[in-house]
Amino acid sequence: MQSRYRLAKILVLLFPLLFISKSWAIVDLREDFEIEGYIKQMNIIQSHDFFDDAKLTAQRNTAQLEGKYYFLRNGTLFNNWSNNFFDSATFTFLARGVYDSAYDIRDSYDVLNDRGKDEYKIRESFIDFVKAPYSLRIGRQQVVWGETDNFRALDIINPLDLSWHGTRESWEDIRIPLWMARGIMDIGKIGPFDESFLELIFIPDDFKETKVATKHPRPWAFRGIGLQDVDANSILIGDTLHDLNVTVIDGKPSHNLSNAQGGARFKAIWNDIDFSLNYYYGFAQTPGVKLRSAGLDDMGVFQTVVKTEFPRMHVFGVTANYSDDRYTQSVFRVESTITKGIPVSIAPPGASSSLDSNGDGYDTAKQSVVMLGIDRPTWIPALNKLRTFFLSTQFFWRHYLDYSPHMQGNAFYAVEEAWVNGQVVPDRYVSTNDDKIDQDEFVFTFSASTTYGRAGLWKPLFVFAYDPRSTGAYNKIQMEYLYSKHLVFRAEQHLYWRTSDDDVGPWGLGDYLARPGIRRNETVLTATFQF
Amino acid sequence: MNELTPHSFYRTTLYHTNCRGYFYHLLASSVVVIAVALLWVPTPSYASEDQSYQALRNWIDNPSAGAPATPSQHFTLSDREAVLEALIPQTAWKYYFFDDMDMEIAATRHYPAPDDWGKNMAPDYTMDEDGTLTGFTGGGYPFTKINADDPQAGQKVIWNMLWRPGQNDYDMPMVTWLRSESGKLDRIMEYTSVNATYALGDRSLVPGYEEVKSKQVMEFRSPRDMAGAKDMSISYVDHHRENSGWVYMPEQRKPRRTLASERTGELMGMDMIREDNNGFGGKVYENNWEYLGKRKVLATTNVKTNPEFGGPSQWVPHKTRWEVRDTHVVLIKPKADNHPYSARIVFVDAETYWTHWMFAFDKKDDQLLRMNQHFLKYSEDYDTEPPTQAPFIKQDFSKSVGHQVFLHLGETDINAKKPHATMTHCYTNKREFESAKAKQFYSLRNMISGRR
Repeated sequence: MQSRYRLAKILVLLFPLLFISKSWAIVDLREDFEIEGYIKQMNIIQSHDFFDDAKLTAQRNTAQLEGKYYFLRNGTLFNNWSNNFFDSATFTFLARGVYDSAYDIRDSYDVLNDRGKDEYKIRESFIDFVKAPYSLRIGRQQVVWGETDNFRALDIINPLDLSWHGTRESWEDIRIPLWMARGIMDIGKIGPFDESFLELIFIPDDFKETKVATKHPRPWAFRGIGLQDVDANSILIGDTLHDLNVTVIDGKPSHNLSNAQGGARFKAIWNDIDFSLNYYYGFAQTPGVKLRSAGLDDMGVFQTVVKTEFPRMHVFGVTANYSDDRYTQSVFRVESTITKGIPVSIAPPGASSSLDSNGDGYDTAKQSVVMLGIDRPTWIPALNKLRTFFLSTQFFWRHYLDYSPHMQGNAFYAVEEAWVNGQVVPDRYVSTNDDKIDQDEFVFTFSASTTYGRAGLWKPLFVFAYDPRSTGAYNKIQMEYLYSKHLVFRAEQHLYWRTSDDDVGPWGLGDYLARPGIRRNETVLTATFQF
Repeated sequence: MNELTPHSFYRTTLYHTNCRGYFYHLLASSVVVIAVALLWVPTPSYASEDQSYQALRNWIDNPSAGAPATPSQHFTLSDREAVLEALIPQTAWKYYFFDDMDMEIAATRHYPAPDDWGKNMAPDYTMDEDGTLTGFTGGGYPFTKINADDPQAGQKVIWNMLWRPGQNDYDMPMVTWLRSESGKLDRIMEYTSVNATYALGDRSLVPGYEEVKSKQVMEFRSPRDMAGAKDMSISYVDHHRENSGWVYMPEQRKPRRTLASERTGELMGMDMIREDNNGFGGKVYENNWEYLGKRKVLATTNVKTNPEFGGPSQWVPHKTRWEVRDTHVVLIKPKADNHPYSARIVFVDAETYWTHWMFAFDKKDDQLLRMNQHFLKYSEDYDTEPPTQAPFIKQDFSKSVGHQVFLHLGETDINAKKPHATMTHCYTNKREFESAKAKQFYSLRNMISGRR
């Protein structure tokens, strides 16, 4: 009730804005202060058959308010004082309130104790200062590097919140903004380079990890293929089943200047090739797990103490794009990184003395990524006589440079019934790490979008992603309708499938996500009121 | 607000005991409602007019001697045959003649170009066999005289149009309305374009950028699904070099390289293609050219202010000021087989080289596919009769006075085949960038972040 009360408060606060003249556009509260935003309801239904076993898994009600205050313009500060040091300065904020009413509709969500039910945050708040050729943005913000869409290579400065809908939402909405300073020095033409600039990022002490849900029945809980509604409580040693007790020590970097993160980027154009050189020094945002102790206690309980590790990470990257108007009428995008400090598990602990000399089942790896992408506006007259389709495709290749077959990830732990001497032991469950790492991991993506209708108000989108190693695939079919200046409706269907095998794969694709208990085939219906 | 309340939707659909039956019932009801709505929506009745390519050619080639259009006259539909049919291209009659139409006629004026126009030009430029202007860097018209016997007269008119004074260097807040034939408003967009000429004849606005013709940054303000989207494009002195472009989408929080060579798809639901920009925004060498001579036409060449829209669909300027102008008429035929147009005919002002009318014909049947018509204002008149202020920003229009250029106050773009139209008001104010500010503003650095 409390959260609904808070949401109601937000809606009441936003409601008067709808009556402000021209409130469908950015609303000018004053000459130097403008706001915009939206109220949105998103309904996610997971099902095999929409009519027979549809389950409402999320009913996410969002109110977002964005504001910009131009407090230094035309040499005047706060409309009062003369200031000629900066060219301009603005304050920007983005606040979001979320209430998921599925928690109050579904009895099965009671066990979640409202975890993930609501969120009320000022997500972003920053000040921009411009003094040519310098600009500085200080505050809580998102910074995006790289050419890749929806896969991470250089876009790693902000962690992601995957807890409520995986990576399926706009990353603008699931990046976790961080307190940082972003300074840019415009250089322009220098030597053979044009449009060049140097960018520096400094994050003093704001470390946050990528947020995932693990608790059943959250629909996007990251778990292995096994049982979804129980946790492991046992371990099998020989033919004996022991109770299992796991103690996790949080090894997250503390708020301390010694835990600062930062990076630099030089971006320029050379011979019509728009390129960047990047370096980022930070922490891994998904933890590794280091075994501290493990063994049977006097009561015969297997006591395990593990510590989450967020190792330092060095990321070197290069990006480039080129618009080829002459031969292919396409824009080519390239991104490549080498990352040192990827946490991995070594299974079994101590299996490889070179990788796991401490026997703690933990190491870090080096990884390279290469992404090749092509964007092309393309005529398909049979499907649309008025407008082109925007086709975009990516090939994303991740390669472990110091790979060992003993390496495993930490994302998917499958929980199974415990079997002893060929018999299932009631209420006893064991877990295994089924997060396999291949030395080379690939994913191919393709998207197509266009607009229909006399004013282009119908906007279909088709997305396809395919992992050739696991043969897992994902499709999204979406139609958005701009009903009016205020109202936007969207319907989406997400489908998971595969051609063979039973491998989870590293990207979370494939039909295992469509199985009972895990199913993530989804129908998403969204209504947005924007102003 | 009811549809946004949390619980009602699923209680009545997904958890309905006879869900499938309910769904089909809902579907059938919806179809009936939509069908009834479509039948009920009134559509305006336009007179049956010949909008073929051949009809326009006949109108151009066989001018009728209409009665003179006297200054201060207000023309209505009753003046159609006597006066207006001789001065408005036949292809537009269907839209521009309507029951309560009101066209105020002003005296044909002489509009001087800027005082230094043509005085700072780099002299060494030529025109290739394919009509491409090479080595020209602005500062004046490349061709001061158009000779009707010149086989390249058509291209020369267009080069003058592409390098005319006032082509760039402005702040241009805009509002665009997209309307269907019934007059129903489908979408409104607000955005601002800021543009600077780099090629100033014997110098560049920003030293070191001599290859750049102009740079433009355009940012959307509304609707909210577009707000904050911005685009930077760089056009080059070398006509063979395609523009460079980047678009910043707030949703992506990074710029994305765009492709300039696709110029024939409709933009953002609007009833225009990039090649229609200012009558002709394509590549000269991709077309065949023919100069069709001069014709007098009525043009909204120096309107009092941004015109209101009238007609049964509210597609065309209404109760505004028109002027009889001498125009060069140029026929442009795309070379590409897959181009949507069989031909395009533009009427370009013989003194100012602004396009007044453009008609493009469908390759399938030579009937009108798209047309546009432009509203202009001379900068020196900003002093005595300033244009309307944009609804979202107040500008000091006195800054425009003294530049002696035309400023674009808007246009109407009609797709005759849909049928549908896009009407735009531009609240243009002249702006001259200092070199250092232009360098900072029109930079890739400025494209890596936006209003969010």
